[in-house]
Amino acid sequence: MAIITTAGLTRRFGPITALDGLTLELPSAGVIGLVGPNGSGKSTLIRTLLGLIRPTEGTATVLGSPITNPAEYAARVGVLIESPAFVAGLSARANLASLARLRRLPLARVDAVLSQVGLTGRDREPVKRFSLGMKQRLGIAAALLSDPELLILDEPTNGLDPAGIVEIRELLRELGRNGRTVIVSSHQLSEIEAVCDHLVVIRFGKLIFAGPMAEMLKRTREHINIAPEQAGDMDRLAAALTADGWAVTAVDDLLRVTASISRSADLNRAAMAAGITLRRLELAQDNLEEIFLEMTGRVDGELADGRAGATGKVAA
Amino acid sequence: MIGAIRSELTRLAQPRTLLTWFGLMALFAAMVNTIMVTFVTGGGNLPPGAPGVAFPTLAQMESPSGLMSGLAAASSMFGVITLSFWALATATDYSSGLIRLLVAAEPRRWRLLTAKVVALALVTAAATTVAAIVNVVVVLPAAGTAGISTAAWGADLLNVVTSAWLHLYVAVCVWGVIGLVIVTLARSAAVAISIGVGYLLVVESLVKMLKGVPSDWLLGTTLGAVASGGTPAVSFGTALTLALGYVTLGLLAAGLVYVRRDVTD
Repeated sequence: MAIITTAGLTRRFGPITALDGLTLELPSAGVIGLVGPNGSGKSTLIRTLLGLIRPTEGTATVLGSPITNPAEYAARVGVLIESPAFVAGLSARANLASLARLRRLPLARVDAVLSQVGLTGRDREPVKRFSLGMKQRLGIAAALLSDPELLILDEPTNGLDPAGIVEIRELLRELGRNGRTVIVSSHQLSEIEAVCDHLVVIRFGKLIFAGPMAEMLKRTREHINIAPEQAGDMDRLAAALTADGWAVTAVDDLLRVTASISRSADLNRAAMAAGITLRRLELAQDNLEEIFLEMTGRVDGELADGRAGATGKVAA
Repeated sequence: MIGAIRSELTRLAQPRTLLTWFGLMALFAAMVNTIMVTFVTGGGNLPPGAPGVAFPTLAQMESPSGLMSGLAAASSMFGVITLSFWALATATDYSSGLIRLLVAAEPRRWRLLTAKVVALALVTAAATTVAAIVNVVVVLPAAGTAGISTAAWGADLLNVVTSAWLHLYVAVCVWGVIGLVIVTLARSAAVAISIGVGYLLVVESLVKMLKGVPSDWLLGTTLGAVASGGTPAVSFGTALTLALGYVTLGLLAAGLVYVRRDVTD
């Protein structure tokens, strides 16, 4: 059963269309990445699914219930939306206790989630003394409080140090393996690539891709990165290879040639024919970030299509 | 609903906030009683239409209800303090982004709003009690020093104290609801406090100065009459009905906005 479905989901904020007829189906269980440039509609989608904002058109279900009645599924969903939000003057424990009481959960859950995110021992300190990373951990703890079937986390590793990122990544994987569905919205595509089983890419409120991560990564292209022995030969090498029919792009102090590794000997011969010796020749492959940039047009979503200045109105 | 109220109370239980709130109530109770005693015995000179205070006469001070007259005398000041804290408590949900978590956890938004009103009303009861205690502690020695007869103050003590507390409590709760309503509409504590203080100190005072313009229905006057248990100009029943009308209208407007508005904070 799909854990989330949307059909023609549209949300307009005045002249801005934040969600534009979005239709998708997200599988239950596993970790799903939700990515898109700034202003693509990720946050609007999350808020719409949670009943925080109402769609202009279209329908959607979460855990089988329509989003017109979020009270039916709220207890089964945990969320971290944008930055962690807490009462700064209260301790981490009191903040979680407040949310536990609102959700009518036993206070024992507070200890459980504090331990899960590694905040035991710091729980009686006021949140205003917390670093961004600790606030982020507390935000994840708040999301886990109800032991939810569906976890929606917006930028969960924001502000964490490398060790913290690895720790939270492991936690997300574990949650995904244990039958929960975890939706991670992030700009850090390396994070998404490392953690997610499925991927949803949206741009300007429209679906660009939805499917398994493996399927997305099939779109990768191989490259051969080369560098001439003499740095001054870079332009001459590029010109010679281009004239010979190779697709060449200059990237920093390298030339990126779009070709599979099986053609590396041909490439080397082409350079030799131009009288240039290579000092470097290596295989490279597109990662998710490069595929994403290719798909989304390498532009900041907020600055494209006349969206500049409209971001204050768009919850995206 | 009980869970939502307990959740709200947990968030309100910030020592610094409560100390400031209760401390201001105590400070104003002490100040008002000290000034009131000086004024009643002829040492003070209150300009007509002075905003926020309505001091009793010497005869009223020496009556059984004189013991608690300080509470009613500055009910508008207590009201503005209450308005400010209700506004701050409500605005924090928006400024911190907590509203997102609250609505995601409890999508029946009317429950959240009702729980907030109930929780704030409970804390306001404690703040009113602090003001009442400080009132008694300060007015007794102050009256003795100023030569005001306190002989009648022991008569019908329970009724005097209870009704003074209750009248002030109802009045400041209405002020608080107004703060909550303005913040819900404007999502800004600064706007709510500015409107509250500006209205009391400027708008209402100006309207009162206009001859031929009835001012008994004005908010400050109405709530002053509620806090005093009625005045010669406005009976307690009329004042209470008007106050309940203001509260109902305000909560209806805030409730509609709170339930229907997109949460984009």
